[in-house]
Amino acid sequence: MDYSKFVTAIINNDEESLKEHYTVLTKVLVKFLLVRLDAGIEDAKDSAQNAIMFGVEKIKNQELKQPDYIIHYLFTTAKNDYLKHQNKQKESNYEEVPEHYAEEGDQLENILKEERQSILTRCFDKLNSKQFNYISYWFDNPGSETALVADHFGISINNAWIKKHRIIQVLKECFEKNINK
Amino acid sequence: MNNSRKDIYKNIDAYIKGTLEPGQIDALWMEFAKNPDLLDQLELEVGIKQILKESKKRKNPASVHTLPNWVWHASAAAVVLLVALVQLFGVETPTQLQDFLVANIPNEQLETATGIRSKEVMITSADSLLNLGFAALSAGDNEKALELFSEVIFFYNEEPYASKAYLNKGIIKYNDGAYDEAITNFEEVAERAKDNRMISEKAYWYLGNAYVNVGELEKALFAVGEAYKRDGIFRKPAFVLYQKLNYDLGNIDLEDAEGTSSDQ
Repeated sequence: MDYSKFVTAIINNDEESLKEHYTVLTKVLVKFLLVRLDAGIEDAKDSAQNAIMFGVEKIKNQELKQPDYIIHYLFTTAKNDYLKHQNKQKESNYEEVPEHYAEEGDQLENILKEERQSILTRCFDKLNSKQFNYISYWFDNPGSETALVADHFGISINNAWIKKHRIIQVLKECFEKNINK
Repeated sequence: MNNSRKDIYKNIDAYIKGTLEPGQIDALWMEFAKNPDLLDQLELEVGIKQILKESKKRKNPASVHTLPNWVWHASAAAVVLLVALVQLFGVETPTQLQDFLVANIPNEQLETATGIRSKEVMITSADSLLNLGFAALSAGDNEKALELFSEVIFFYNEEPYASKAYLNKGIIKYNDGAYDEAITNFEEVAERAKDNRMISEKAYWYLGNAYVNVGELEKALFAVGEAYKRDGIFRKPAFVLYQKLNYDLGNIDLEDAEGTSSDQ
């Protein structure tokens, strides 16, 4: 995403371009909150929208220009907005203590959606046995260094990465073909 | 971090495997924000991992064996005997204080510019300095970050900026293993941010951790208790560490462990 175009769209009030940017930014911020803060989807959407709204105000007032600062501002504001909202909820319902705190690991599986996952599963089932064995070994041994994977299959480390990338590409193409059906 | 696609893919792989450092995770999310299609790559790989995990579960369903009654009776007797031995002979608990401590405070715990509400649209110079300090630390430049946070304290010695800057300095010192300096900074925050529950909770929690690291357990107990009282995101770990400290200090009544804490 080109953040300088986002800034230009805000300054010129280019609604069409702004709409596109909002969609992409919302997607990023929602996933950030789902994964990093284990947020619920509705809370994540609210906080993402609030962060974008505040960010737009800042850009309008020329207080934010640089892409990295804009991104950092949006992430920080989305996080703060979400945590404040959670704290308020906790105050109004004193008995309800959140089951997590910030130092727990990221909840990566929160970005998965049932419908998309079922398409991916169908694609996964179409892998040939060599591809299946390779990718299974890669993900079933999370602690393994790539060197160990390479050694296991008798290939170079570089080729180990290439092989993994190719299988991911096969799955990606199958997934994209089926999601658009 | 090298921003080439190849390196980013490697970092995504490491993220899924849980081997990325907190700073690298922050940097990776910056990349996701710049190239949102990378999030599809992340989703795809997390999805594959999940498929494999589920297929493994289906292949190896957890087997349920019913144990004969005498086994349960024998187990219960063994537990009673073990508790009696612990109480009578003062057998040490197998847990170490270190197991309950924060080893490394993640960058996301740093305080930056406040989330601005619609009526407060001005970002101050102090906010900017805090954000720049965060950016420097994310880029691995601790010295620069410390300088920027010191500038906030020097030029904007007012709340909430100064307490945020002290907190951030304390976090950097803590992660460097300079616990005495971390303590000085966290104490300053605890004093200044009395009316700010979120910041004071954070300060007391990390202050308690720092005190444990220098062996000042009584002071740690007080600080962790203060963090617990604030009833925020550190309530649970503070409760556990508080109990462990009490136990190690010989304050705890084993028959009323929960009761002790509920008096907080």
